[in-house]
Amino acid sequence: MLRRSFLKFGIAGLAAPNLILRSAEATGQTQPGNPFIVTYFEVPEIKGSRDVTDAGDGTIWVCGQRNGVLGRFDPRTSQTKVIPLGDGAAPHGVVRGPDGAAWVTEGGQNAIARIDDRTHKVELFKLPTGRERANLNTPVFDKAGMLWFTGQNGIVGRLDPKSGKMDIFDAPRGAGPYGMTRTPSGEIWFASLAGNYIARINTQSGSFTVVDPPTEGQGARRVWSDSKSRIWVSEWNSGQVSSFDSESGSWKGWKLPGHKPRTYSVYVDDADKVWLTDFALNSIVRFDPLTEEFNSFPSDKPGANVRQMDGRSGEAWGGESGTNRLVRIQTVKPA
Amino acid sequence: MRAALAPLIIFGLALSGAAQAEGQAAPAVFKACQSCHSLDPAKAGMAGPHLAALNGRALGSAEGFDYSPAFKAAKAQGLVWDRERLLGYLADPDEIVPGGWMSPPAGLSTADRAALADYLLKQ
Repeated sequence: MLRRSFLKFGIAGLAAPNLILRSAEATGQTQPGNPFIVTYFEVPEIKGSRDVTDAGDGTIWVCGQRNGVLGRFDPRTSQTKVIPLGDGAAPHGVVRGPDGAAWVTEGGQNAIARIDDRTHKVELFKLPTGRERANLNTPVFDKAGMLWFTGQNGIVGRLDPKSGKMDIFDAPRGAGPYGMTRTPSGEIWFASLAGNYIARINTQSGSFTVVDPPTEGQGARRVWSDSKSRIWVSEWNSGQVSSFDSESGSWKGWKLPGHKPRTYSVYVDDADKVWLTDFALNSIVRFDPLTEEFNSFPSDKPGANVRQMDGRSGEAWGGESGTNRLVRIQTVKPA
Repeated sequence: MRAALAPLIIFGLALSGAAQAEGQAAPAVFKACQSCHSLDPAKAGMAGPHLAALNGRALGSAEGFDYSPAFKAAKAQGLVWDRERLLGYLADPDEIVPGGWMSPPAGLSTADRAALADYLLKQ
């Protein structure tokens, strides 16, 4: 249950990071010339509030990695339904399936978890013997309804939700598979943090096409496709955001503002604006590919550590894993 | 006399086997850490700091690694790695270093964490 809710507002035009501005008080309203509203929601019952996704009915799924639960938070009522996932659970990623359920990479039990969206019943699909401690990371559904997922211990997996059949593939270069995304054209891509690459999966054969970003040792952490099937990459080591156009095979890259940025996550909204998180500045950062400008939304608490973002039309969401809060940034369309 | 010693011998062999199994298990558990950490101080460009010579090492002190503000503060406080702190950190990093950047290591049992801590503190 939500104990209190803060509304804060922060925006910066960030050609120079020292121009960060923020209002002293919460408003919850747009201010003249400012199209963003930032709202923080306390969710103390979700320890280590991590990956989030839209549940499709106005609520938000959120992984409680530190206390082994999945939360379902309703911003209209500030109520959170808490769903225990089992002994030793440590959920990392969550995606809404074609069946409406939440599908979770449940690293603590080395399993994929399905949480029914109506009954909240939990069903586990364990990884096979010999694939212990896979360090499960991110799930994505392909267009055929198969669930793909990454494990940082060097695996990519595929689960048929109907039959429960699971296949595990060894990833190129071993340890490292992290974020994963599906393009509008149906391709599945993932990033390898330790492998310093992104790769497309042949969903029929389970083989991989590796693509090396131009910056050596960049630490490709998460990926997200835009509406044109360009793959956006958050680069942890280099502090950049980069994009790969698979049609032309070309790359573009931009360093985030500030000193020694650490780009953790990337999410692309339905207007093709790119949302990033920078651990060095303790900020969510919005990048507009058209103007090539950054806006920064530093948290009002230290060590916020937003490790993933997702959203729905007009709203970008993230979990502040270091503060047990959710953050929502609304983009208000001009009247 | 020989018959009386037999249980002790069997017990001794069992202990030896358990120690051997633990010795084999620890590197396997450490594999799960290798997507971010190395035991080689010369290996640059990892997402996390190297873990060589960890026993008694100050938190946030791997040379050349760009640490989180939380670890920089821990270093300034003079905190060092020992078995108790490492066990706690492996169980819940945010409990030991609030605001640090590492996620909880997933899927490790209590025995895994103990074996891993002992292994790392011997490197």
